Amino acid sequence: MQQKKVRMKKSAIIFSFFIIVITVLRCSSDKREPGTAYMPDMVYSRAYETYASVDNLHEKGVNYNSTPVAGTVARGDLSSYPYKNDSIGYVLSKNVKNPLPTLDAKDYIEATRLFLVNCGICHGDKLDGNGPLWKDGDGPFPSAPRNLLKDPVTANMAEGTMFHSMTYGKNMMGSYASQLSTKQRWMIVHYIKEKQRLSKTGETVK
Amino acid sequence: MCFYSIPVLLLPTNCTLSTFFRSTASMISEKYIYQKLSLCFFVFIAVLNIDLSAQDGKILFNSKCASCHNVFKNTTGPALGGFQERENGKWTDTKELLKWVKNPPAYMEHDAYTKGLKAQFGSIMQSFSDITEPELVAIASYVNTTFQKGPGGGTTTATSSEPNEETDGRNAILFGIISLIMAVIAMILMQVNSNLKKLSDDVEGVLRPEPTPFYKNKIYISVVAIAFFVVGGFYVTKGAIGFGRQKEYQPHQPIFYSHKVHAGINQINCLYCHGNAMESKHATIPSTNVCMNCHKAITSYEKGPKLFDEEGKEINGTAEIAKLHKYARFDPKNPAAWDPSKAQPISWVKIHNLPDHVYFNHSQHIKAGNVQCQTCHGEITKMDEVFQFSELSMSWCINCHRDTKVNFYDEEKGTGNKFYSIYEKFHNDLKSGKMDSVTVKDIGGLECQKCHY
Repeated sequence: MQQKKVRMKKSAIIFSFFIIVITVLRCSSDKREPGTAYMPDMVYSRAYETYASVDNLHEKGVNYNSTPVAGTVARGDLSSYPYKNDSIGYVLSKNVKNPLPTLDAKDYIEATRLFLVNCGICHGDKLDGNGPLWKDGDGPFPSAPRNLLKDPVTANMAEGTMFHSMTYGKNMMGSYASQLSTKQRWMIVHYIKEKQRLSKTGETVK
Repeated sequence: MCFYSIPVLLLPTNCTLSTFFRSTASMISEKYIYQKLSLCFFVFIAVLNIDLSAQDGKILFNSKCASCHNVFKNTTGPALGGFQERENGKWTDTKELLKWVKNPPAYMEHDAYTKGLKAQFGSIMQSFSDITEPELVAIASYVNTTFQKGPGGGTTTATSSEPNEETDGRNAILFGIISLIMAVIAMILMQVNSNLKKLSDDVEGVLRPEPTPFYKNKIYISVVAIAFFVVGGFYVTKGAIGFGRQKEYQPHQPIFYSHKVHAGINQINCLYCHGNAMESKHATIPSTNVCMNCHKAITSYEKGPKLFDEEGKEINGTAEIAKLHKYARFDPKNPAAWDPSKAQPISWVKIHNLPDHVYFNHSQHIKAGNVQCQTCHGEITKMDEVFQFSELSMSWCINCHRDTKVNFYDEEKGTGNKFYSIYEKFHNDLKSGKMDSVTVKDIGGLECQKCHY
């Protein structure tokens, strides 16, 4: 009887030791793995969230289109640009006028922010075509971005052509249509034109 | 450089400094000094001239050519390195080169080679009618010297220093070993002590009971048990708190994308790629075309520091860019044929996961609250591989809501956010000096239903 108790005690110790070892191993933090959720109640969304897989939606009978229907305009945005991304569109673009009124002080600040975030990286915060990606040829970008104030091509560029290039990209520049809304692109056109006017007249303050 | 050479030139070759000073007054005639000075002046001008033209070539190249031409690789136009060897050295004749550059469409009429270039690159070179012959020579010499130096200009960029964590880890191991040795020595000494005591007792004839071995000694056992309880309890509690949290989570990503290189070294704004953080619940991961804005042109990793992953394995940056090109269905050898609509999304692994029962909105924090990305995401500009910096636990949220001040509109200064004007009482209290600041807590930042609904 006594012996049996001792044996049981021994096996209990060994058993609990194993439990501890397994728990520690399971809980050890491998930072490459996300781990598993303990009682995942209300952890995973039942609705389709951003970045949820949409691969099998069609099989479930859900009609899903990742791109907007052609010709639709987002609420609050301007109507879309009429010309296609080809050489004819590029030539015709110079006739398109900026639909936005001249920027007021608040919009000018917002346009400056948009320019610095999206354009300044190549064209420079001073619009001199010397942003951090070019750095006088020391940066990683292989082509010199245009000097928006002094290069004759960009300094005399029509508003519509500027918009066309931002929308579809030109030469080594990519399209910014996915990063900037139609309105934001026209705001940046205003901003560049204002900066070009200031640099010609030699004024420094708006 | 030339200023240093003045005294050297003035000194006759075998004359010491003292004799030189004695002689300046009498021996050397004024004419001699003038002669040497003027010679020196000419040397100085010549050196300056060479410098200027080399400098000019770079400036001219960057302002006129570099938009479309690179020395080493094809961009909008062909690579210019070694261009004078092409077409049997036709371009070594500056007159011919000038004719081409001044009016490319006219030149192309009777030249098959440039016509072929147009077919290859899809556009005609812009006319440079105001360029002069010396300018062309300067550009050509700049292109040739740069080409001879090779990519990177013969200069090597500093490699990143050894990560500090490694030395920290080594120190911890060292301290562990030292304390282990100390513990063993202490045990041996205690054993020796008891043995000596036993010996002396034997000699003195004192009879003592056999000492209990240390594993049956109740004091030892209780000390070990208490230590085990404290240490084990600490880790169990810590582990239990960490249930369902993923701090430090650092998954392998399909492409080794270094935030350090992009946001740190190249200073790309966070909002360039994650622009929706201003407008939406999600900061959003950029689509493949945003990567291709730059990587259409940047096809190799050359100028940055060496890259290492967390395991210390060296990463080949160019191969990682090639992976991106594969997703984008982009052929670097034929960039003109790229169709962005064929690009495939990259399946990045999401790092920051909040459970569904919590609502978090990026735009609310970034646009209205003016919180910096780094406040919650850590020093992202120093991370090669991103990890979850914050706990994303409820206490972490609440603590920040208790401390963060709300940017109320200040009528006198005209700064701040007018959105909060409905909190009339707080505005009055701020004016009368009853409160010195309003925190997120005061405007309901601790209410359950703000985040859980």
